[in-house]
Amino acid sequence: MNELRVAAAQVSYEQKAYWRNPMAAIFTFAFPIVFLLVVGGSAGTSRVPGYTLRYSQYIVIAMLTFGLIAACYTNLAMVICTRRDSGVLKRMRGTPIAIGSYIAGLVGSVLIVVAILTVLVVAIGLAFYGLHFPYHPLAVVVTLVVGIVTFSALGLAVTILVPNADAAPAIINGLYFPVVFISGVFYPLAQGSVLARIADWFPIFHLIRALVSAFEGGPGSGLQLRDLLVMGAWAVGALFFTARRFRWEPRRPKA
Amino acid sequence: MGNRSPGMMCGTTGSESAADSELAVEVTGLTKSYGDFVALRGIDLKVKRGEVLALLGPNGAGKTTAVEILEGYRTRDSGEVRVLGHDPARRERALRARVGIVLQECAVDPYLTVVEALTQRSGLYDRPRLVDDVVGLVGLEAKAGSRVKTLSGGQQRRLDLGLALVGDPELIFLDEPTTGFDPSARREAWVVVRDLCAEGRTVVLTTHYMDEAQALADTVVVLAGGRVVASGPPETLGGRDRGMSTVRFVAPAGVGLADLPLPEGVEVGMRAGYVEFAVAEPTAALYSLTRWALDRGEGLDGLTVERPSLEDVYLALTGESPRAGSPAGIGTGDESPRAGSPAGDGTIDESGDESGDGTIDGSREGAE
Repeated sequence: MNELRVAAAQVSYEQKAYWRNPMAAIFTFAFPIVFLLVVGGSAGTSRVPGYTLRYSQYIVIAMLTFGLIAACYTNLAMVICTRRDSGVLKRMRGTPIAIGSYIAGLVGSVLIVVAILTVLVVAIGLAFYGLHFPYHPLAVVVTLVVGIVTFSALGLAVTILVPNADAAPAIINGLYFPVVFISGVFYPLAQGSVLARIADWFPIFHLIRALVSAFEGGPGSGLQLRDLLVMGAWAVGALFFTARRFRWEPRRPKA
Repeated sequence: MGNRSPGMMCGTTGSESAADSELAVEVTGLTKSYGDFVALRGIDLKVKRGEVLALLGPNGAGKTTAVEILEGYRTRDSGEVRVLGHDPARRERALRARVGIVLQECAVDPYLTVVEALTQRSGLYDRPRLVDDVVGLVGLEAKAGSRVKTLSGGQQRRLDLGLALVGDPELIFLDEPTTGFDPSARREAWVVVRDLCAEGRTVVLTTHYMDEAQALADTVVVLAGGRVVASGPPETLGGRDRGMSTVRFVAPAGVGLADLPLPEGVEVGMRAGYVEFAVAEPTAALYSLTRWALDRGEGLDGLTVERPSLEDVYLALTGESPRAGSPAGIGTGDESPRAGSPAGDGTIDESGDESGDGTIDGSREGAE
């Protein structure tokens, strides 16, 4: 019980730290929303091939995905690299806090951020782009949770590759930008294209497709099991790597 | 100024026989290597409850490695380590709850306020101190509601100390706690450490500053090249109290060296208008000199009698003396391990009984 109380308190401190750090809020909220308003408005109303959604509606879901990844992967990884370099993580490790409570605080805070982002982005879609309220709301929630877990795990794992905080933005974004561009975040992928086949190996494309499916009307639960499984595989791999190699301390010459 | 009276150990009475239960830290034969670099070559250490122990040593001597093994951050290669009865390598919560740690890096989340950071930390402990008390203890009342990133370096360091104290620890590790402080902030930090000690807490600190060790420590342990080269109260470290005293004074006008009543068989030097000689026991020499001067109806200008300072002893012990051709204390952490033997200095050669084993044996007679 004590661990739960500590984790809950950690969430509130992480929330304070998050909203007071302008960079994090800009990438998670400002970029997707501005992109949505500018590009979504000019995206046209024709349907995306293979989907029932129109282009502008697709962009709503793509930007939700973009914000989720910014909050879970990019922001989480940056926060950890910065704290590791400044010694905050090392200090926390010297206190009685359980590792699980600390990580739960970070991920819990991300969960709140994604919830707020979802409400905002979907509200814009409903208000301006004729997006229908999700036909499978439960599938939306399940897909978002799987996405949060997957990209938080990737955010933790990528910190292992980062030698110091100066290198963090280059490595964290350098790994993720190419995948974003080929995964249909900024424009829908042509089905069966080379890009689509490459993107099929990475979790971003699957998060978009699973979300689109949950928003679209259709038979069944709206859950895309294959997409969720691909994301889950990435999450398991990332968590395995993290458990084995995660560093609490900066990499420095030892003396 | 800054010097505490010799032999004053707060918290405990400093009894001669240190039973295990009176030891906050006990280390025997501790070794640690990083690849080819041997950081610790078998050190022994005993820290009694309620005492302040200072680890002194040049960069690369193994101070931080030793402290981080005690803190549970590093694993040892061999040796026995007990901290408050626990093996720190097991990283038990029960131990972490009783220990406060200040690292060399100032590590506080920049976006929280002082009170928020302390409140967060206090929530991790079962019986924390009151946050307001800690704010006062480290003198941050005026900054209590300010975000950490707006604090000066010295204020952040004080908050860092406050974070280590908020859990009401029995044992506190301070790794170079006053590096970068201005002189008045250092004095304030010293007061905090003395207060901790007066409350019966045990403090293990590392420092580069001789005056800090002199002012705070009940016991000083000098590390060099991964070995303990000397340990004991700062007043007697390395045979300081038994070292040669240097007597200096300005030669009176018109008086030659031959006219002065100087002790037999002593090498007398003239330096910058001063007469200077070293004797093991200065009382008799001073008596003859001052009587001679008073008989002539004048004083001895600039008369001083000096024991080797802690710094002299330290430099000789660590082989960092300028005479040894190595710039003192300007290491980059990559010094090759030094042989731990004291450099050939008369004041140190007498101290063979103190170096070597490195245990703190409670013999404080020299200080009394």
